[in-house]
Amino acid sequence: MSQAELVLFLEASVRLGIPLALAALGETISERSGVINIGLEGSIIGGALGGALGALAFESAGLGVVTGAAAGVLAASVFAVFAVWLGADQIITGTAVTIGGLGMTGAIYQARFGVTGTELSLPTLAAVRVPLLADIPIVGSALFDQAPTAYLAYLLAPTLWYFLFHTPYGLELRAVGEAPDAAEAAGVRVLLVRLATTLFGGLLAGIAGAHLALAHAGTFAENMSAGKGFIAIAVVVLGRWNPVLVLLAALFFGAASALQFFLQALGLDLAYQIFLALPYLLTLAALAGWVGRARAPAALALPWESKR
Amino acid sequence: MSRNVRTCLLSSLVALVGCGGSSASDDGSLRAALLTSGPVSDAGWYAGAYDGLLLIQDSLGATISHQQTATPAEFDEAFLAYASSGYDLIFAHGFEYQDAAVRAGSQFPDVTIVVSGGGRIADNVVPLIFRLEEGSYLAGMAAAAMSETGMVGMVGGVAIPPAQGTFRAFEAGARSIDPDIRVLETFTGDWNDVAAAKEATVAQLSRGADVIIHNVDAASFGVFQAVREAAADGRTVWAVGMNSDQNDVAPDVIIGSAVIRIPQAFLETARRWETGEVGGAPIYASIREGVIDFVFNPRLMDRVPSGIVERIAAARSDIRSGALTVPRVRFVEDEVGAP
Repeated sequence: MSQAELVLFLEASVRLGIPLALAALGETISERSGVINIGLEGSIIGGALGGALGALAFESAGLGVVTGAAAGVLAASVFAVFAVWLGADQIITGTAVTIGGLGMTGAIYQARFGVTGTELSLPTLAAVRVPLLADIPIVGSALFDQAPTAYLAYLLAPTLWYFLFHTPYGLELRAVGEAPDAAEAAGVRVLLVRLATTLFGGLLAGIAGAHLALAHAGTFAENMSAGKGFIAIAVVVLGRWNPVLVLLAALFFGAASALQFFLQALGLDLAYQIFLALPYLLTLAALAGWVGRARAPAALALPWESKR
Repeated sequence: MSRNVRTCLLSSLVALVGCGGSSASDDGSLRAALLTSGPVSDAGWYAGAYDGLLLIQDSLGATISHQQTATPAEFDEAFLAYASSGYDLIFAHGFEYQDAAVRAGSQFPDVTIVVSGGGRIADNVVPLIFRLEEGSYLAGMAAAAMSETGMVGMVGGVAIPPAQGTFRAFEAGARSIDPDIRVLETFTGDWNDVAAAKEATVAQLSRGADVIIHNVDAASFGVFQAVREAAADGRTVWAVGMNSDQNDVAPDVIIGSAVIRIPQAFLETARRWETGEVGGAPIYASIREGVIDFVFNPRLMDRVPSGIVERIAAARSDIRSGALTVPRVRFVEDEVGAP
């Protein structure tokens, strides 16, 4: 690979990694509070359609990101009501939100743009070049000549890390995910925390979806989330529920898919599926404890009811 | 309360079944159904099938229904649902349905299942084979003529035989114009992942390819977007549409489309079914019937090098007459001497 090709490869890696990073950072926060939101995919596809509709309505990609985020929150609020507030099974509720999200967005898209579909000309979220940083050799343009949503992910990762591990609120949030009964006894409003983290996860997943539609594809297509919500959940595991590592893990997943496209474009005749599988194998290794210690929050996925 | 809910559910279930039973056609008109495993809003493969279903409704007065199956686990359920509620003719629009179709076919001998791009045959399960390779070959000729770099690319979803066939033919068509042309091939593993298709296209464009054909569904929007962005950067690059006439989808960069006139093929199949001619053997739809073709984008004709339109027209009539055989991947069982 020449240096120019290396740069192109890194740029593609970041482009593919950013939506995963945004969704996975939100999921990290909700999982830290004991909520595993399998409905993330529903929030992402909702964010993609919400972003597309908003960008068209307001003729602004920036406002599209806002409406995309709102759509993500809307999808997550369904999950929050049933799985968090009413204590329904998180996996089943999340699956319902994902399937419902894929179906609803398809129905709305077809109602609005015709049953047989068309490519939309959306206002796109243009890349913004960061002065100086973008001039760093090799990695500069890949990391710092991206859509603004990418910078959101870069800023969120250390911010969320600091929040989780160095503030009292972060401690309370983690306590809710580890031992909700004890947290409640200590005066933490467990349900409120979980509702908030779930909606925050939906917000970021919605932005991830809006990024897909507005910064990447420039259009909406049914099912365009293509499993990214589930990949994001794997990214959280590989990143060991640590926002900074989660960002790196997302970029690694992005690099793995970028690599398979580049190798195929080079004309190498090998099974590209191996490269698709690679990040998952690493995630399994992380779960098995081969890549450092990975332990899920103790109360993850367990419905909780106030003991008061 | 839970008991009330259950009773309620049960009664509505009975009501549903009742509805299904009573509406089964008593007037003897055709009841046709369509199964797709992707959204019909892809402006391509599935959209064409949906248009075909509507055409059958309009032309033959048929009662129609469409269902999108999400996972292979739902294939059997979907066949069961249609077969048991009185549908006569089920179009299962994709290679992936073939095994479930054979299972359903043996269970419901009165129902005819047509599997687009299928490979398995029974008395009441027939593959509808689109010779899209023929249109793809002509597209390859056009691509090679348009290419200034001597390199063209193909972006596919999953490497199933019908998709591989179109790529082999595209390559052969390109070489018939430029024997030294380089042809890149990428499969993304997903028919609808717009982002993946876009990055696969970006990678091919960055290698120097300047004409890209696709064989994906809704993900084709990603291919067109990547080509459009490269064109905006000042490169002379083109995309080729596939499955439906996609020239209007991205009219500024799509030089032409390898088309299947799926609605026409569906209607013809339904007509033949009504006269009892469908069963036990594959149905072939090719350039000869006018179902398959390559159509240039009329808005970009001034960019097309002189002479290539005539060469493509000549190749089209050679394919029609049998003088030119287009390479393809054989996947229909016991296929010998098929047209």
